[in-house]
Amino acid sequence: MKKSNLKTKLLASITCLSFGFTGFANAGAHSEDVYGPFPVTLKGYSGDCTNTVSYSGQIARHVQHDSLKYLSTKGDYDEMNAYYSGSDKNKQIWAPASKEGFPIKQILLNDISSGKNLSGKTYKGTITAWPNNMTGPEVIDFWMSKAESNPKDVSVGLNYQQLISKFIMGAVFYNQAVDNYLDEKMEADTKPNDKPYKDGACYTGKEHSWDEAFGYWGAAAHSLLLSAEQNYNVAKKKDLASADYNSDGVVDLKSEYVFAHAYYASSFDKGGKTSYLEDITRAFLDGRKLITSANGEKLTDAQRSELMGHVSIISDNWEKVIAESVFKYAGSTYKSLVALEDVTNADLAKEFDKYMKYWGELKGFSMALQVGKDNIGETGTKLNRMVGFGPMLLDETQILGIDVNGNYVMDKIYSMNDAKLHMLKIQKLMIDQFGIEARANDMLSDMADLASKIGTSESAEND
Amino acid sequence: MEIFFDIFQNLVDQFTNPKKRVFILYLFLSILIAAGWLILHKKKSLKESIKFIFNPKVFFSKSATSDYKVFFINQVIMLFISPHLLTQITIATALYFFFFEISFLDMGLFATTPKYIIISLFTFTHFIVDDFSKYIVHRWMHRWPFLWALHKVHHSATNLTPMTVFRTHPLEGLVFTLRSAFAQGLTISTFVYFFAGGVDLYTVLGANLFVFLFNVFGSNLRHSHIGIRYWKWLEYIFISPAQHHLHHSVAKEHYNKNYGAALAIWDWMFGSLHHSEDTETLTLGLGTNDDQKKHSLKELYLIPFVESFKFLKRNFNSIFLFKKIKKNKSEIYYEKFPQ
Repeated sequence: MKKSNLKTKLLASITCLSFGFTGFANAGAHSEDVYGPFPVTLKGYSGDCTNTVSYSGQIARHVQHDSLKYLSTKGDYDEMNAYYSGSDKNKQIWAPASKEGFPIKQILLNDISSGKNLSGKTYKGTITAWPNNMTGPEVIDFWMSKAESNPKDVSVGLNYQQLISKFIMGAVFYNQAVDNYLDEKMEADTKPNDKPYKDGACYTGKEHSWDEAFGYWGAAAHSLLLSAEQNYNVAKKKDLASADYNSDGVVDLKSEYVFAHAYYASSFDKGGKTSYLEDITRAFLDGRKLITSANGEKLTDAQRSELMGHVSIISDNWEKVIAESVFKYAGSTYKSLVALEDVTNADLAKEFDKYMKYWGELKGFSMALQVGKDNIGETGTKLNRMVGFGPMLLDETQILGIDVNGNYVMDKIYSMNDAKLHMLKIQKLMIDQFGIEARANDMLSDMADLASKIGTSESAEND
Repeated sequence: MEIFFDIFQNLVDQFTNPKKRVFILYLFLSILIAAGWLILHKKKSLKESIKFIFNPKVFFSKSATSDYKVFFINQVIMLFISPHLLTQITIATALYFFFFEISFLDMGLFATTPKYIIISLFTFTHFIVDDFSKYIVHRWMHRWPFLWALHKVHHSATNLTPMTVFRTHPLEGLVFTLRSAFAQGLTISTFVYFFAGGVDLYTVLGANLFVFLFNVFGSNLRHSHIGIRYWKWLEYIFISPAQHHLHHSVAKEHYNKNYGAALAIWDWMFGSLHHSEDTETLTLGLGTNDDQKKHSLKELYLIPFVESFKFLKRNFNSIFLFKKIKKNKSEIYYEKFPQ
């Protein structure tokens, strides 16, 4: 992957040098590295549409997710559910909302798309990472109902905001993209490229399926023109100049903002060891160009095979982004466990709050990792056992289940030392199973650094 | 094409990496030390000394030539094998996790120790553990017939040159790699567990300070024709080149002596120390009549497999079914180490 990137970069540099003057002359024109617009290729279409790129429904769901995350600390179940299950009313966008120096174009959900919800798109399979065989929507509903009375429940150590947010990113965005649009809908006879996606649409089945997956990914249409740092700052609402691609002075959530896993990818990539955001977004763009090049005809076997190559890059790297997040928050949780051992009474509440947040993120991401296209099997089982259903409390009890009344069953099953060890083993598991490379908050890096300083243990020498 | 580049890079690395024994600076310093010894101790002239050090009969001997071949072939073999070997980090991680499960071992127990003490202690311990494990494994190489069949390749050298360190059977290389991984893994995991984040290594040119000193003070002369001897008291602590030459001698009184790499204290402690003698009269090799035939690639690569296999087959019951061994170890040892 890295080598091909290097090749691409070298080629791009040579091209830039060769056509430098032309490039300057065209400054401000549409860049080949921007996702859209793409022309109509559908045979027999006679409407007014000129751009077939459309993923506003996915952006609406990103905004519903961000707003639900914001509301999940406010304790109003109905309001939360209005964003999760949808509402007839044109609801306010709570997040991402404008702030000084970063004005956002849309204020209401219907400014993006109407009639959308998250619940209908949440993974419906059994969630083995949570007690009582609940489906994805049932887990979210359970958490929202708990968050109504106690968004941060210190008696059991759960931070519902983090659980809800991180799991939805997996159970809706990741699952819908890699297990639906880039999987079933890329099959030869499903949503074919010589027919409209639905009656009256100007885009073909394959064009729109691909666009919807891109929408769930969460990158801005012009993310490839930005560095990882710039993409990160766009998501943090700190860099209007980078976000405002069309220079109209406001940030259009439909194409100029960075959401969800694309944001997490940028956070890892800015460390310089990985290029998840670039690789995934580039694969989406190349795939879309390939579909467009079929010019409204059914994709040939060769074209489909090439397209599935892009799908693999997207799916594998997306999974790694989530695994990197699991790794990072296992490290944060470990650090919190160590800090809690020596914390003074004055700092206990603050430290425990951090601990709940980190564990919640760890749990949410670890659940997200299990709702992709492939069953991760034993890795998921190990992960669920080591993360647990709740963080270990200071008396070494933790959630073991949920009774018929929806109350948590608490008990002690292992020690604080074991809990710490589990966090380290989770980090190792992520490296071994997913080959992650950014490794934020690496708790085993001291050993790796020492080993590398000492040098290789390979030695075909007789002293 | 890439594979040729990797091989070339590996070969060059041996001479340009200060962590490696035959780093060019270490070789140069060994020449200086050898010249100093010959001029000051052996009272040779500078010209005579240079002629003696660069004696073509040594460096172009059948034995030395086969060293060079083995060096090259092993680099290629290790390039393919090494990615699949157990690494020090795998062992360190497993041990680190193991320490966690022992309730009375408190992580970070000595974390408040001043950093310079932690680093000094780690640098020293790494060197000591590494050197001791070399002693133990080397001893096994001579004592266990299955391993001796492999280690014989190294001892079949009838002339010693710095490149003789590479005269090693690939299977023996695997054993050494495991040894190194285990020694490093043990030290790293123990220190990181008990001293937490402050562990580091004092290095010179990237090499462990003590390894650097060992190499600077003529480690390459261990395998050479320059029999430098130390004062007797010093030979209890450090193995002199002449002491290692005795280890390669065919004389019966030198069998099972001087297994140590840098330190002689292990030999002293475990009764295998032999002080140096005038090494100019030593005969090196296996002591068989057909020593010169032992330099062929067939002898160096294939025969050790055959001999190891034969031994395992003959002693299958005793090794794998824990039944009484047919012969005692020393009998087999001397049978395989002709007198």
